[in-house]
Amino acid sequence: MPIFYHDDPEWSDIEPLPQDDGGLHPLAAIAYADEYSEAMGYLRAVMAKNEFSQRVLGLTEHIISMNPAHYTVWLYRSRTLSELKASLHDEIAWLNPTALKHLKNYQIWHHRQTIIDGINSPKGEHEFIATMLEQDSKNYHVWSYRQWLVKRFGLFDDKEEMRWTEDMIHADVRNNSAWNHRWFLVVGGRDGKTLPENVVKREMDYAKSAIRKAPQNQSPWNYLKGIVREAKLPVSTLKDFALEFADMRRPDDIYSSHALDLLADIYAEEENGKEEAKKALELLASKYDPIRAHYWNFRKGLLDQSGVAA
Amino acid sequence: MADAEISPAQSPSNRLEEILDASDRIEELSDSENDYEDMGSVTQEEQANIDYLESVRIPIIDELKTETSEVQDDTLEVVLPFLEGNPNDYPLNIFGIPQLQREKHIAFLKQALGDYPSGFALLDASRPWLVYWSLQGLSALYYDISQYRERVIHTFSLAQHPTGGYGGGFGQLPHLAATYAAILSLAMAGEIEAYESINRKNMWHYLGQMKQPDGGFTMAAGGEEDIRGAFCALVVMSLLHIPLELPPDAPARQHGLTSFTDGLGEWISKCQSFDGGMSAAPGNEAHGAYAFCGLGCLAIIGPPKETLNKYLNIDTLIHWLAARQCSPEGGYNGRTNKLVDGCYSHWVGGCWSIVEAATTSDMWNRSALTRYILSGCQFKRGGLIDKPGKRADAYHTCYNLAGLSATQHTYTYEATMQIDLGGSALDAPYYWKLDGVHEEGKVWDETDHIAEVHPIFVVPFKAAHACRKYFEEKEGF
Repeated sequence: MPIFYHDDPEWSDIEPLPQDDGGLHPLAAIAYADEYSEAMGYLRAVMAKNEFSQRVLGLTEHIISMNPAHYTVWLYRSRTLSELKASLHDEIAWLNPTALKHLKNYQIWHHRQTIIDGINSPKGEHEFIATMLEQDSKNYHVWSYRQWLVKRFGLFDDKEEMRWTEDMIHADVRNNSAWNHRWFLVVGGRDGKTLPENVVKREMDYAKSAIRKAPQNQSPWNYLKGIVREAKLPVSTLKDFALEFADMRRPDDIYSSHALDLLADIYAEEENGKEEAKKALELLASKYDPIRAHYWNFRKGLLDQSGVAA
Repeated sequence: MADAEISPAQSPSNRLEEILDASDRIEELSDSENDYEDMGSVTQEEQANIDYLESVRIPIIDELKTETSEVQDDTLEVVLPFLEGNPNDYPLNIFGIPQLQREKHIAFLKQALGDYPSGFALLDASRPWLVYWSLQGLSALYYDISQYRERVIHTFSLAQHPTGGYGGGFGQLPHLAATYAAILSLAMAGEIEAYESINRKNMWHYLGQMKQPDGGFTMAAGGEEDIRGAFCALVVMSLLHIPLELPPDAPARQHGLTSFTDGLGEWISKCQSFDGGMSAAPGNEAHGAYAFCGLGCLAIIGPPKETLNKYLNIDTLIHWLAARQCSPEGGYNGRTNKLVDGCYSHWVGGCWSIVEAATTSDMWNRSALTRYILSGCQFKRGGLIDKPGKRADAYHTCYNLAGLSATQHTYTYEATMQIDLGGSALDAPYYWKLDGVHEEGKVWDETDHIAEVHPIFVVPFKAAHACRKYFEEKEGF
């Protein structure tokens, strides 16, 4: 049933501000339905007089149901909640089904963040996020929101958070969003402080065992290289491991292009390793990752230029 | 639809496609599958395409199946027939690749500037985007947009907020995404009337409200802070020649900041992730669209060679960008282990000129991307798409065409180039010049030629230059 306000006594004091398109016909104009058009007219009117009231919450809810991508309405609703000191728990209860209906909407997540910040507790959020990720396990907004939660409520060292992240990686070892979240927990919370040795070892072992499951999966390779760089270890630390998947003496037997890529970096740092590094890059360009031949050749060029690794 | 395009709204075509896709996909596949290969009737062009795809394929396939590998396999099954054959029966260019359907795309974009029925209310906050995407797409197709000038000015005079900046339309709050699309559209429309319709003094104050103590920018007052905010704000400032100094009422001043660029490079630096890519905000996952925003922002603050080297690890950045090109599809994905999508033809493809200005040229595979766009991303009824099986929208049309343009041209940054503007704040984007057409590995011919696109502003060069010049010469606000 469409909702109208013009004969609603509760709104009789408001003169709606209709959309004024003036002389020329605007570009990309929408022939609004009467219901939407009228509701927006009332919203413009209450915004013009800075009204924050219960009826404004009802009005914004109505408009959001017709257009959830309307940032103006979300921002004004958020301001109204704060001015009214309205129940934020009620807001979350209303928000949950709305978010499930509109998975890729920016506004809902920012709004949620504002509300949870006000509630000052992440309780229930993990269950909600799980429901959202069941629909789309790589949803950017959901993962970014999870990172905000971790930071806001200091969950970097929370065992449950780490266990959940491991479950996500276990469910799909190629889910790069989950790998990024692990990095966020392990390194992101340290504010540049050195990683303890046991953590470095634990993370390297974790990434290595993931690579063994599917050596052509780039996510754990990036993670592994990142940990080595973060720990300021020489890249040669990974030489034996890389050789498990790519031995240059058996160029027809390569199990991961990423191992070759890493070996090229390792050889480039070795004394007299340039020729081997070149060979690895040539193998990538000609056979194991030919779509990126230009890039591998660029890396080869760097070897000649400097003597320093790419 | 890409999941993090810089538009504030989800495209309604996204919802429509769910309804309409299924039948369409079946129809398209039935044209292509099973028909020709088994019949031994592979044409010469098809055989050449099949050989090409084989030549860029990574020969290693892991056995482990996960959700990621399954959707990737399904996608490849839908995409490959379009890259191998020509299911839409387009005329082929001299390289045996479908020709650019210029007239159809022009018609599609003109329609995108027209009226929408009531079911499109979901686009109400994104109308500035529709205007920008359509005007830029038309310009890229060499279509003269001057007929729209007056309506562009009128459309945005309605969306300009009394306190500065632009909203999605009349009575909507100002938002940096809408402001970005509005200013680019007005710059494209051009001439004094368009420039003078912008209230620059209010814009200065509005941007001052968006600047955050940590160096970044929010998208709106009380809205999210992310790298789109930084990029959109800097684009507007550079084109309108807005003073670098924060206005007296900017809240960031209370935290000791005095300039719009204070802490900005450092903030962007924190958006570079452990794998070399760039994310929406510090700690988030690396993503192609945010990478372009970050690089674009750095290329406005100063010469790319200087700013990229100062604020980013270029080696890992290039490694990550190169890894976005999907094999054998040839198009780009936006994140590690995600699917190819035509919009990243620009978001990632467009990063290369900026990166190459800081390093060396020719690091990416232009031919493979050209093939993906022309063979895989042209919708048979006009407009361009994410991937075969999807429907066209102005967003994918604009950014596929910008990506196609990137494959066709080379640009250089010449710090010493004599220009009739610049020499003041945020002038770095005006030292770019078109070097010429990229010939190596070319698989497009004259019928497929796209106009050059400014590597940072993603509008025609002359639109950006004329706008900046006007405001440099103007005295006061």
